[in-house]
Amino acid sequence: MAVTATTPATRPPTATSRTGAAPVTAALVLLVAGLALVDITQGTAAVGAPEVWKAFTGQADPADASVVIASRLPRMTAGLLVGAVLGMAGAALQAVSRNVLASPDTLAVNAGSYFALGLTAAFGLSLPLLASSAFAFAGGLAAAAVVLVLSGLGAGTVRLVLAGSALTLGLTAVTEGLLLLFPRQTEGLYQWNQGSISQSGFDGVLQMAPIAVVGLVGLLLLARRVDALALGDDAARGVGVPVRATRITAVVLAALLSTAAVTLAGPVGYVGLCAPALVRPLARTFRGFTKSRGFLPAAGLTGAALVLGSDVLLRALVPSDVVVSVPTGVVTSLVGAVFLIVMATRVRDTTGAAATEQLRIRSRARFLTVTAVLVAVAIGVTVAGVLLGDSKLLLGDIVNWVQGQAGRTVTFVLDTRVPRVLAALFAGAALALAGTVVQAVTRNPLAEPSILGISGGAALSAVLLVTTVPMAGSWGMAGAAFAGAVVSSVLVFGLAARGGFQQNRLVLVGFGVATAAAALISLLIILTDPFNATKALTWLSGSTYGRSMPDVVPLVAVLAVGAAVAFARRTELDLVSLDEDTPRLLGLGLGRARLGFLALAVLLTATAVAAAGTIGFVGLVAPHAARALVGRQHARVVPVAVLLGAVLVCAADLVGRTVIAPAQLGAGLMTAVIGTPYFLYLLVRSRG
Amino acid sequence: MKRLLLTTAIATTAALALTACGTTEPAADDAKKSAEPITLTDSTGEKVELDGPAKKVVGTEWNVVEHLITLGVDPVGVADVKGYKTWDTAVPLKNEPKDIGTRGEPSVETVASLKPDLIVATTDLPPAAVKQLRKVAPVLTLKAADAADPIGRMNADLDAIAKATGTTQKSEELKKQFQAKLDEGKKKLADAGLAGTKYAFADGYVMSNQVSIRPYTSGSLIGAVNEKLGLKNAWTVKGDPAYGLGATDVEGLTKLGDVQFAYVGNDGDASSTPFTGVLAKDKVWTSLPFVKKGNVHRLPDGIWMFGGPQSMSKYVDSVVTALTK
Repeated sequence: MAVTATTPATRPPTATSRTGAAPVTAALVLLVAGLALVDITQGTAAVGAPEVWKAFTGQADPADASVVIASRLPRMTAGLLVGAVLGMAGAALQAVSRNVLASPDTLAVNAGSYFALGLTAAFGLSLPLLASSAFAFAGGLAAAAVVLVLSGLGAGTVRLVLAGSALTLGLTAVTEGLLLLFPRQTEGLYQWNQGSISQSGFDGVLQMAPIAVVGLVGLLLLARRVDALALGDDAARGVGVPVRATRITAVVLAALLSTAAVTLAGPVGYVGLCAPALVRPLARTFRGFTKSRGFLPAAGLTGAALVLGSDVLLRALVPSDVVVSVPTGVVTSLVGAVFLIVMATRVRDTTGAAATEQLRIRSRARFLTVTAVLVAVAIGVTVAGVLLGDSKLLLGDIVNWVQGQAGRTVTFVLDTRVPRVLAALFAGAALALAGTVVQAVTRNPLAEPSILGISGGAALSAVLLVTTVPMAGSWGMAGAAFAGAVVSSVLVFGLAARGGFQQNRLVLVGFGVATAAAALISLLIILTDPFNATKALTWLSGSTYGRSMPDVVPLVAVLAVGAAVAFARRTELDLVSLDEDTPRLLGLGLGRARLGFLALAVLLTATAVAAAGTIGFVGLVAPHAARALVGRQHARVVPVAVLLGAVLVCAADLVGRTVIAPAQLGAGLMTAVIGTPYFLYLLVRSRG
Repeated sequence: MKRLLLTTAIATTAALALTACGTTEPAADDAKKSAEPITLTDSTGEKVELDGPAKKVVGTEWNVVEHLITLGVDPVGVADVKGYKTWDTAVPLKNEPKDIGTRGEPSVETVASLKPDLIVATTDLPPAAVKQLRKVAPVLTLKAADAADPIGRMNADLDAIAKATGTTQKSEELKKQFQAKLDEGKKKLADAGLAGTKYAFADGYVMSNQVSIRPYTSGSLIGAVNEKLGLKNAWTVKGDPAYGLGATDVEGLTKLGDVQFAYVGNDGDASSTPFTGVLAKDKVWTSLPFVKKGNVHRLPDGIWMFGGPQSMSKYVDSVVTALTK
């Protein structure tokens, strides 16, 4: 898989200049210094360049001087530190995993730290900075370890990004559940999760600096061994480098660096991904950067320039009263997402069809049994969903309700509960169908609508509608979600179209779009409804709250069409999912067929998002489990996947509505809790 | 996998069989009440029709809950009871109302099971939820706040709830008392030579060494009360159009100049008291003129900054005491 297995640290043939590295480093230092100076002159207090100058020369009035010393300088230092540390962590992670997409974000380090901090906040622990960063470190390291071990160290594939993003989704879902459950204890955590370099005094910076220094020195000491890894594991062993120990040490050090950044500023996204990537072209020209000893500091400087640059840009563009609530991390995430997309469209994609599943042929009897059992379970879950809730009902109540003879309370309860159960059922079914189609078309068993950015686009557009037109109806919501899904999928599939929707590029571009959508949604919430984050969070966590029958109608209509098309075109689905050549030999227009199927998946995803918010993992888990149960013929996979999806979301919704009643958790959150371990299990199984 | 599915199916079926076919309530009942019907129009322009003064009332926001209690109507259902008990001790709950869930997402089912005569909601609730609640009982949807006229909004909400619960006399009384409280406070401050004092009220939150401060501009309820007291709001930050709340950081406080600064925190919430915690060591904070002079006042916990006349009366007393100390 050449896309991620490029080994930039090996001597590139174009490395011509021996002496160029010093001037380039000097230029980087100058750039960072310039940005740092500009950053000091920006802020909410009326302390601009002249006052800063006076403060430095000791002539300013004490108030201005204290602003410079206790607020501006710490912020600037924090920006420097965070950027440098993240840049180096990213460079180290990319070197040891031989994967240009490894970074604190894609290894779920940030999500792990966020989760650990959310947990401490929810339990009402108000810890000193060092203790809370110890928690964050444990969380971040654990997450990185899980991702690296499960995706296979050095395997260097898109699976790393997928594993990392899946774990990020799962952990973020749980953390956001904590935010909903403990809105007061966790106040500020949501904004903190966007990453902001503001500081109150030098305390935080001073406490984190030693950790950063330990990480930095450790990495530099390790640099020679890390370089040896670039030659390949066997060659490295040949020259006496302990491969495993080197990797583990580097990952621990990188996690240490990222946690220092995370506890200081919250997750400032994608600096660890972008900074090394920006330095890489330099390494082709200047020999000084080809070795880690040169590369790591250069990546650190670039990271610092990225963070400070984002902060300067933000403060220059947005009025200072507003800017305090717009975190730097949103800007770096947006920059990082665009960067990821550009990088994805430029990498060579030489991947063939990688069959990661070995599936046995299943008998027809097995298919019939599985389907029958699933139908029974689906009916059971539906009935349980209708009976259970804040007030428990009995079957006789339903009979009364159906006959229109139920009393006031039962009527109301069922009037509100039945649409929710149906919305969950059909949203699950639609997402599972969309996932089946997407996985067939991309031939990537780990792809799904939310990872491809389709759900994100739909959600962004729907949140936009909710914040501007609060009274929007169900068809309006479905329409907005569809428009957003179309825009995002045109972007994703359009950019990935070169070379006919090849799988790696598609997934990477999709992941970039999903990231950008998430950053824009955060920005939208912060700017339009700063005191009601719960409202948008609720919606984004995939909830059936407040659904009524009219909301379910568009979903049922689209699902019916989708199921009919999938059934009618089952043979084409089989062919498309097989490989590149067979469909062509059989005279099937591959591009057209794929486009048609993808359009169907977009439609299904959008209506599901409009009806029940963003529910991840269903589109991933259901088709996969279906293939494992009944083989890979789509005539069998489709009905089983659809049933599984319906059961999964309906059960998740039921649990979310009942465990902490009368408060409730979104169904999307529950599916993430169920889906993440399953996804990780899939990765372990498919590793061989 | 297959065995798992099978077991689940059997278990589900068994569970259903055990609970089957009973009902949880007798067949439809139609109890008729005889009282003067009440009709009023709420903030969304919707007509609310009641058979008579509502007795069993559910409140989905804390400000309407406070209004209800001050009017002598103990609500049967309240969103986030624990939170209310933490943040609004100025007007404590007198009964043990049922918790109906979170303020953002109250459980429609729990509300329905309470069989209320009236649900008082605010425009902060998702319209879809309001629509469902209307099927349970008449819903009085009030605008929770309006930065254009905060006190007017508070009084109008109080009046609307009073009309629906047949306690108009009490609301007139409350409004008079509150006006008297404002006049009394203004006089006391003026007598102490504090008329026109520059004053800033805020609350703050701390997370991971970062302090965010929420200025209460003149569009906020507290800001409006301050002006009635003859104090001058020192915030120059722009507030949001509903609650009149702004956002700033510690640096932003340097624009206040020499003022009287007051805040409300909560001992039950460690992140809500940055002024005595993290900021005590912050050079920007400690070199602010009002901090140096000791003009920072922590007002008593439990005054709900978005509440009703009672919370505001307690606030007036606290400010007057703090400033004339």
